[in-house]
Amino acid sequence: MRNEVYDVLIIGSGHSGGMAAKILTEAGIRCLMLNAGPVADISRDAERLPASDLPYRGFRPPGRLEHVFQSNEFNANVWVDEQEVPYTFEPGQPYNWVRVRLFGGRSLFWSRQSFRLSDYELKCKSHDGFGEDWPIGYADIAPYYSRVERIFRVAGALDGPPQMPDGAFILDDDPWTSSMQRFIDAARPRGIPVCKQRRALGVNGLASSVNLLLPDAERTGNLTSIANAVVREITVDKNTGLPNGCNFVDRISRREMSVKARVVVLAAGTLESTRLLLNSGLANSSGVLGRYLTDQIYGAGVVASVPEARGRKGAGIMGGGALVPRFRNIDTKSDKFLRGYAFNVSSMTGGLGPRNFAAYGAELEKKLDEYYGSGFQMTIMGEVLGRYENHVRIDKDKVDAWGIPALHVDTKYTDNEYNMARDAVDVGSELCEAAGFEVLSKNPVPNPPGYSIHEIGTCRMGDDPKKSVLNKWNRSHDHKNLFVVDGACFTSGGWQNPTMTILALSMRASEHLASEMNKGNL
Amino acid sequence: MLRRDFVRTLISFFVAGKVARAQQRLNDPTLPPPAPVPWTLGLNARTPVPVTALADEIAAADLTFFTPLQMRTLTRLSDALLPPLNGKPGAVEAQTPMFLDFLIGSSVEARQKVYAGGLDWLEATAQAKYKTAFAQLDDAQAGELLKPWLRTWMSDHPPTEAHADFINIAHDDIRSATVNSKAWNDVPSVGAEPHTEEGIYWLPIEPDVYGENPSYAHTPPHVLAMPKAGQKMPVYPR
Repeated sequence: MRNEVYDVLIIGSGHSGGMAAKILTEAGIRCLMLNAGPVADISRDAERLPASDLPYRGFRPPGRLEHVFQSNEFNANVWVDEQEVPYTFEPGQPYNWVRVRLFGGRSLFWSRQSFRLSDYELKCKSHDGFGEDWPIGYADIAPYYSRVERIFRVAGALDGPPQMPDGAFILDDDPWTSSMQRFIDAARPRGIPVCKQRRALGVNGLASSVNLLLPDAERTGNLTSIANAVVREITVDKNTGLPNGCNFVDRISRREMSVKARVVVLAAGTLESTRLLLNSGLANSSGVLGRYLTDQIYGAGVVASVPEARGRKGAGIMGGGALVPRFRNIDTKSDKFLRGYAFNVSSMTGGLGPRNFAAYGAELEKKLDEYYGSGFQMTIMGEVLGRYENHVRIDKDKVDAWGIPALHVDTKYTDNEYNMARDAVDVGSELCEAAGFEVLSKNPVPNPPGYSIHEIGTCRMGDDPKKSVLNKWNRSHDHKNLFVVDGACFTSGGWQNPTMTILALSMRASEHLASEMNKGNL
Repeated sequence: MLRRDFVRTLISFFVAGKVARAQQRLNDPTLPPPAPVPWTLGLNARTPVPVTALADEIAAADLTFFTPLQMRTLTRLSDALLPPLNGKPGAVEAQTPMFLDFLIGSSVEARQKVYAGGLDWLEATAQAKYKTAFAQLDDAQAGELLKPWLRTWMSDHPPTEAHADFINIAHDDIRSATVNSKAWNDVPSVGAEPHTEEGIYWLPIEPDVYGENPSYAHTPPHVLAMPKAGQKMPVYPR
């Protein structure tokens, strides 16, 4: 058995871990990557089937994934099993922790929405007085966004207002369909901007760590990776007190093993990285490790129908999508909530769901036929305020399948988030009606926290070691050779999908780390 | 020819014949190889895959969750909400009520309560209004009880109001279970008629750490917990 000391141990293989591996190995640094789960190979592990061939007829198999609303029988085996890796939460405060442990993590399955944060988020306290400013501003991160956008081939238009900075896009100059144009015409007089969607095209239809980042790292010859390595704890050098590797258990054989490295980079996903630090007793001199858990409210929205498109007359009318960036509390101030939300807008060409009609039997079938191809949908992505009391801690009474203590999540939405969701539904309904659309259904209630799969915070960065876990380079204030490069580092949230920011911050932190190592400072 | 030469020729003839016959046996695929053989011998990518049927379509199952009265109510409810239409099977033909007995019976307690309580309420309401079991109501009578509770709703947020929750959740489940049944899938859908959902089904994902299956050979080496190609595998003398 080898007892090699690697330069850097990277725990996690998703977007943040993949970016760290790419940057570090390209700088000549030898990295070892551990991933808790197996490799997904679609040609080996998946097949195309009708739901009628499955024992649950496509329904989510009961018991294993009760908090993964995104799951069904087709994809049940890609998510982390809640019985194998359990977590707990406060009674009456459910949390939807949606996890993937396959190699590549959640970078294998994401919506590709690709936005930059702006100084409205990064300097949020300066703007409205709530929370904390990040220790970095937009100018610090903008160059990294551009490089990430080129790697991920982000398509979009240069049409963003200041709260939605433009980037290095593959330009989208497709014309709007008439239903989208009517929506824009309804929004404009109300001061609501409507922009083209921004999404990562990736390569060959995939925008993942496994096809855009890890191959570059492997080509250097400096990356070694191990699958099915469930990390139990980060180990510490008894003489220096510095992290020096980790203990892990092989997921299949349950053999206990360990590896050594000069630097440890956590990229296991926000809550797994924090769980690992809590279980290791590291990086918490501030007492805020696990605090300020936030995400985005999802689930609220409006479904409408474009009357002129009914009866299969939707050609030229229907199709396309848009993004309405945050417009609340930019130039005006709402008395109902702080910050704001964005709308994902879709003009749909397929069938509408039966839930949009209070009918059944033959009457329902007639409605579905009549309304086919006329659907218009708006759903929100709303900022959740970072609050100290929203936190995670270790549940001493619960362990996972390998005996590792489980995480307890104690978080809930407040009136700020509920008021935001109600406002979104009111505005969405008003815009649809102003555009001449018929509102069919609406929902003002957010899904449980965690549903957006955009959990961030719990290792927030900041300049003050007494109020933050990481410095502006994603490095632990307490341990100079410990970095956290995933979403846990966020000081606060925003309405934006966090993926581009996670990638840009991981790139920035990894370049800093490489520079420090090559100078001999680490 | 000397006597000993004759004997030698005779022996070699017999030996050669025996060797030739033995060689012939070894090369003849119709003959079984000498036992014992490796127990996985012969299994390969060309091995035919037996055709199997769905147990749901063939076998019977006992009620495991609903009471017989609840099942009669659920069966009538299923028929009312999704009857046979335009040549497509209805919920009852798709065996949806028995499927729901299986699904709800293994679901979380909250969902079980919605169903059990909802079916009991429906039966009690039918008895109170028509003095007959819900299972015996005609379509118009069933509609009188069901239509006031129909709501529109968006994904993940069914109505929370008592009775409306059951009616709308059950309607959604009955419809999905029927559309995704073999009986529905066997009849082609026309126009806006819903199609049986079809998609990429992920099998349980485990690594082939021994590399036994040649179809796994394209798996990138970085993702396997195995020695990298640069580290040569040992070669043993045989």
